Amino acid sequence: MDKNMLAALEGLPEEDKARMSAMIDHLQLRDSLRMYNSLVERCFTDCIDNFTRKTLQKQEETCVTRCAEKFLKHSMRVGMRFAELNSQAATQD
Amino acid sequence: MAETEMEYRVELFNRLAQTCFNKCVDKRYKESELNMGENSCIDRCVSKYWQVNSMIGQMLSAGGRPPM
Repeated sequence: MDKNMLAALEGLPEEDKARMSAMIDHLQLRDSLRMYNSLVERCFTDCIDNFTRKTLQKQEETCVTRCAEKFLKHSMRVGMRFAELNSQAATQD
Repeated sequence: MAETEMEYRVELFNRLAQTCFNKCVDKRYKESELNMGENSCIDRCVSKYWQVNSMIGQMLSAGGRPPM
Protein backbone atom coordinates (compact mmCIF):
# COMPACT_ATOMS: atom_id res chain seq x y z
CA MET A 1 0.00 0.00 0.00
CA ASP A 2 2.81 2.48 0.77
CA LYS A 3 4.24 2.64 -2.78
CA ASN A 4 0.89 3.64 -4.23
CA MET A 5 0.43 6.29 -1.57
CA LEU A 6 3.90 7.74 -2.14
CA ALA A 7 3.32 7.88 -5.90
CA ALA A 8 0.12 9.83 -5.31
CA LEU A 9 2.11 12.54 -3.51
CA GLU A 10 4.19 13.34 -6.60
CA GLY A 11 2.36 16.45 -7.79
CA LEU A 12 2.06 18.19 -4.41
CA PRO A 13 4.01 21.21 -3.10
CA GLU A 14 6.92 20.37 -0.76
CA GLU A 15 5.30 21.23 2.58
CA ASP A 16 2.16 19.24 1.76
CA LYS A 17 4.32 16.34 0.69
CA ALA A 18 6.18 16.42 4.02
CA ARG A 19 2.94 16.67 5.99
CA MET A 20 1.32 13.81 4.08
CA SER A 21 4.45 11.70 4.37
CA ALA A 22 4.47 12.19 8.14
CA MET A 23 0.81 11.30 8.21
CA ILE A 24 1.43 8.11 6.26
CA ASP A 25 4.13 7.11 8.75
CA HIS A 26 1.79 7.82 11.64
CA LEU A 27 -1.06 5.85 10.04
CA GLN A 28 1.25 2.93 9.30
CA LEU A 29 2.50 2.81 12.87
CA ARG A 30 -1.02 3.01 14.26
CA ASP A 31 -2.17 0.38 11.79
CA SER A 32 0.70 -1.99 12.66
CA LEU A 33 -0.17 -1.77 16.33
CA ARG A 34 -3.83 -2.34 15.61
CA MET A 35 -2.96 -5.35 13.43
CA TYR A 36 -0.77 -6.75 16.20
CA ASN A 37 -3.57 -6.50 18.74
CA SER A 38 -6.26 -7.93 16.53
CA LEU A 39 -4.01 -10.78 15.39
CA VAL A 40 -3.31 -11.74 19.00
CA GLU A 41 -7.00 -11.63 19.85
CA ARG A 42 -7.98 -13.61 16.78
CA CYS A 43 -5.40 -16.38 17.22
CA PHE A 44 -6.01 -16.61 20.93
CA THR A 45 -9.76 -16.90 20.39
CA ASP A 46 -9.41 -19.48 17.63
CA CYS A 47 -6.69 -21.61 19.22
CA ILE A 48 -6.96 -21.53 22.99
CA ASP A 49 -9.93 -23.16 24.70
CA ASN A 50 -8.49 -25.10 27.57
CA PHE A 51 -7.58 -23.47 30.86
CA THR A 52 -6.62 -26.43 33.01
CA ARG A 53 -2.95 -25.49 32.54
CA LYS A 54 -1.37 -22.07 32.74
CA THR A 55 1.34 -22.68 30.11
CA LEU A 56 0.69 -23.16 26.40
CA GLN A 57 0.62 -26.75 25.15
CA LYS A 58 2.57 -27.73 22.05
CA GLN A 59 -0.55 -28.00 19.91
CA GLU A 60 -1.72 -24.58 21.06
CA GLU A 61 1.65 -23.10 20.09
CA THR A 62 1.47 -24.76 16.68
CA CYS A 63 -2.06 -23.49 16.14
CA VAL A 64 -1.10 -19.92 17.05
CA THR A 65 1.93 -20.01 14.75
CA ARG A 66 -0.14 -21.26 11.83
CA CYS A 67 -2.93 -18.80 12.55
CA ALA A 68 -0.58 -15.81 12.57
CA GLU A 69 1.36 -16.91 9.49
CA LYS A 70 -1.85 -17.61 7.62
CA PHE A 71 -3.39 -14.27 8.47
CA LEU A 72 -0.25 -12.40 7.43
CA LYS A 73 -0.15 -14.22 4.09
CA HIS A 74 -3.84 -13.53 3.65
CA SER A 75 -3.30 -9.88 4.45
CA MET A 76 -0.54 -9.64 1.82
CA ARG A 77 -2.77 -11.22 -0.79
CA VAL A 78 -5.63 -8.89 0.04
CA GLY A 79 -3.18 -6.00 -0.20
CA MET A 80 -2.20 -7.08 -3.73
CA ARG A 81 -5.81 -7.31 -4.90
CA PHE A 82 -6.69 -4.07 -3.16
CA ALA A 83 -3.89 -2.27 -4.99
CA GLU A 84 -5.01 -3.75 -8.31
CA LEU A 85 -8.60 -2.63 -7.79
CA ASN A 86 -7.41 0.77 -6.60
CA SER A 87 -5.39 1.38 -9.75
CA GLN A 88 -8.25 0.13 -11.96
CA ALA A 89 -10.62 2.53 -10.25
CA ALA A 90 -8.13 5.37 -10.66
CA THR A 91 -7.80 4.84 -14.41
CA GLN A 92 -11.57 4.67 -14.83
CA ASP A 93 -12.24 8.11 -13.31
CA MET B 1 -9.41 16.24 2.67
CA ALA B 2 -6.76 13.80 1.53
CA GLU B 3 -5.99 12.90 5.16
CA THR B 4 -9.55 11.77 5.81
CA GLU B 5 -9.48 9.90 2.50
CA MET B 6 -6.33 8.10 3.59
CA GLU B 7 -7.79 7.13 6.95
CA TYR B 8 -10.86 5.88 5.14
CA ARG B 9 -8.69 3.71 2.86
CA VAL B 10 -6.82 2.21 5.78
CA GLU B 11 -10.09 1.45 7.54
CA LEU B 12 -11.53 -0.05 4.35
CA PHE B 13 -8.51 -2.28 3.91
CA ASN B 14 -8.64 -3.49 7.52
CA ARG B 15 -12.35 -4.29 7.45
CA LEU B 16 -11.97 -6.00 4.08
CA ALA B 17 -9.10 -8.15 5.31
CA GLN B 18 -10.92 -9.15 8.50
CA THR B 19 -14.18 -9.91 6.72
CA CYS B 20 -12.66 -12.02 3.96
CA PHE B 21 -10.49 -13.92 6.41
CA ASN B 22 -13.59 -14.78 8.42
CA LYS B 23 -15.48 -15.82 5.32
CA CYS B 24 -12.76 -17.80 3.57
CA VAL B 25 -10.26 -19.32 5.96
CA ASP B 26 -10.80 -22.54 7.88
CA LYS B 27 -10.29 -21.78 11.54
CA ARG B 28 -8.86 -25.18 12.33
CA TYR B 29 -5.47 -23.96 11.00
CA LYS B 30 -4.33 -27.34 9.74
CA GLU B 31 -1.40 -25.65 8.02
CA SER B 32 0.19 -22.22 7.74
CA GLU B 33 -0.17 -21.93 3.95
CA LEU B 34 -3.30 -20.74 2.19
CA ASN B 35 -4.67 -23.52 0.01
CA MET B 36 -5.99 -23.05 -3.53
CA GLY B 37 -9.61 -22.89 -2.44
CA GLU B 38 -8.85 -20.24 0.13
CA ASN B 39 -6.84 -18.22 -2.40
CA SER B 40 -9.71 -18.22 -4.90
CA CYS B 41 -12.20 -17.39 -2.18
CA ILE B 42 -10.05 -14.46 -1.03
CA ASP B 43 -9.74 -13.04 -4.55
CA ARG B 44 -13.48 -13.28 -5.14
CA CYS B 45 -14.31 -11.96 -1.71
CA VAL B 46 -12.12 -8.88 -2.23
CA SER B 47 -13.69 -8.31 -5.62
CA LYS B 48 -17.25 -8.54 -4.28
CA TYR B 49 -16.52 -6.46 -1.22
CA TRP B 50 -15.12 -3.82 -3.52
CA GLN B 51 -18.28 -3.87 -5.64
CA VAL B 52 -20.50 -3.57 -2.59
CA ASN B 53 -18.34 -0.69 -1.43
CA SER B 54 -18.82 1.11 -4.77
CA MET B 55 -22.56 0.46 -4.79
CA ILE B 56 -23.06 1.90 -1.37
CA GLY B 57 -20.79 4.82 -2.14
CA GLN B 58 -22.92 5.64 -5.16
CA MET B 59 -26.18 5.22 -3.26
CA LEU B 60 -25.02 7.55 -0.52
CA SER B 61 -23.76 10.25 -2.86
CA ALA B 62 -26.81 10.07 -5.16
CA GLY B 63 -29.51 9.97 -2.47
CA GLY B 64 -27.77 12.35 -0.09
CA ARG B 65 -28.40 11.38 3.50
CA PRO B 66 -29.94 7.94 4.03
CA PRO B 67 -33.64 8.16 5.01
CA MET B 68 -34.09 8.10 8.82
